[in-house]
Amino acid sequence: MSSYAITILTLIVIQAIVVCGLNVIVGYAGQISLGHAAFFGIGAYSAALLSTRGGLSFWIALPLVLIISALTGLLLGLPSLRLKHDFLAITTIGINFIVQAIFLYVPFFGGALGISGIPRIQVFGEALKGAHFLYLCLFFLGVVMAICWLFTRVFAGLACFALREEEAAATSMGISPVRFKLLAFMLGTVFAGLGGALYAHYMRFVSADDFSFPLSVSFLAMLVLGGMGSLLGPLVGALILGALPELFRPLAEFRILFYALMLLLMIRFQPGGILGESSLIRKRLFPLFLRRQP
Amino acid sequence: MNPALLEVKDLSIHFGGLRAVDGVNFAVNRGEILGLLGPNGAGKTVTFNLISGVYKPTSGEIWFDGKRINGLPSYAIAALGLGRTFQIVKPFSTLTVLENVLVARGITRYPAPSCLWTSWKSRQEAQAAMALLDRVGLADLAQRKAGLLPLGNLRRLEIARALAVGHKLLLLDESFSGLRHEEISQLEALIRTIQQAGITVLLIEHNMRVSMALCDRIVVMEYGKKLAEGTPAVIQQDEQVIEAYLGRKGESDAS
Ligand SMILES: Nc1ncnc2c1ncn2[C@@H]1O[C@H](COP(=O)(O)OP(=O)(O)OP(=O)(O)O)[C@@H](O)[C@H]1O
Ligand SMILES: [Mg+2]
Repeated sequence: MSSYAITILTLIVIQAIVVCGLNVIVGYAGQISLGHAAFFGIGAYSAALLSTRGGLSFWIALPLVLIISALTGLLLGLPSLRLKHDFLAITTIGINFIVQAIFLYVPFFGGALGISGIPRIQVFGEALKGAHFLYLCLFFLGVVMAICWLFTRVFAGLACFALREEEAAATSMGISPVRFKLLAFMLGTVFAGLGGALYAHYMRFVSADDFSFPLSVSFLAMLVLGGMGSLLGPLVGALILGALPELFRPLAEFRILFYALMLLLMIRFQPGGILGESSLIRKRLFPLFLRRQP
Repeated sequence: MNPALLEVKDLSIHFGGLRAVDGVNFAVNRGEILGLLGPNGAGKTVTFNLISGVYKPTSGEIWFDGKRINGLPSYAIAALGLGRTFQIVKPFSTLTVLENVLVARGITRYPAPSCLWTSWKSRQEAQAAMALLDRVGLADLAQRKAGLLPLGNLRRLEIARALAVGHKLLLLDESFSGLRHEEISQLEALIRTIQQAGITVLLIEHNMRVSMALCDRIVVMEYGKKLAEGTPAVIQQDEQVIEAYLGRKGESDAS
């Protein structure tokens, strides 16, 4: 594989990890989040600061990064999850802008210069780069997807589905809306934080621009395209939207416009994602390959 | 032991100027089927929502099994063994019928951290949920998406879910409405077996024949207030009740 392809794939896998987190919040628990890039950023900045100024290795810093992500998820989730629908959407957008502004204007976070000199991740004394770093990301994606799979099979996950479908009925069955929405929110922000940490050590430089609102929109676009609530959806969405801009580089300026348009069209016409139960691809394309014997 | 499982004392809730429930008192005795009747807009569903913790009362008290429950959140009241259905059915539409019941079966799990690692996909869980579906006659449709069921089946699904939660008390809000004739007699029989299993039932019902036949006692409400209380025989003779109903006969037939 060319190093160019490895770079693209690595970024796709990192984004898939982050979108898995968004899937727990939006797909499983049915909460809107338009500020997911903020939590990606919080993970990235935590990892950057702990490894540069803190002098910690990635592996020692990682649990701290995940705890920081969970706690900020809890802190910011608590007020926002008491809101619904449009209010929640607007609040999460607000969180994105505030977190980005803090990265940009608080000197502790490096200001406009960001944080550079982030060391590579070491495994058995070897600094990971290229394909090896990609394998590490794939390993974490596997762990994240396994956790997602398990989550859909335990009562806590079922509680989230029930809240997504019909909150009043779920509540009458002993499900505390705040507790389980917060749980989903924390799990989602922890995955975003993990993706952020990998991103920081891969780019070896982070700045506030990397975590702007349009990135939140593209995470959501990936999720909706791939299929909300499905296990493979985040990966499918990240693969397609991660590869497309590379194929259509000249159109990069219009990317966000394209994502927004696609989001609207998907939600209107293919709410289950491109591979979802009622999608065109399933209905029209799959039967061509799976034609039953008469 | 106090014979009353549920006691409502001087219960009121005001929505702005509207006194939807206004100083209501009644008790549901252990093991009985109590009917809550009254014309449209009388405040019956609001009373259910107060008992189940959806609304907080403006004043008054609610006692359930020796505990004061007004002020507790809905999910905590459910955990005490109080199950309910909704007049406007609320299925988990994209989940299957079986999964709908499994959600309700989780009632004992949700408060504890073990809900993070206990699977709902085990065979015992499925069997227990199937047994509930069997009781309401939905076993054949277990794998169907709940959103695809007709109203009659959704009402039965609501009862199956409520049964999984309410091992002490069931609140049934117009479970008979929208059912066909033969479905009504099946449901009557089901509610009798629920009573025989030792579960207390409080039900809202517009169908006079059904409520007179099924209920041990009846409470009638009008304009948020209690109008009358007594056995079906007594209620049928009550002047005020007859007036309240005859005055609105056309209206309640239309609903
Ligand atoms: N959340 C609310 N806010 C304001 N008013 C409400 C609310 N819920 C109910 N009401 C009003 O309270 C009154 C009682 O309503 P309720 O639903 O309890 O009637 P009901 O006795 O169940 O009637 P029906 O037989 O038609 O179901 C009605 O006038 C209704 O409009
Ligand atoms: Mg009602």
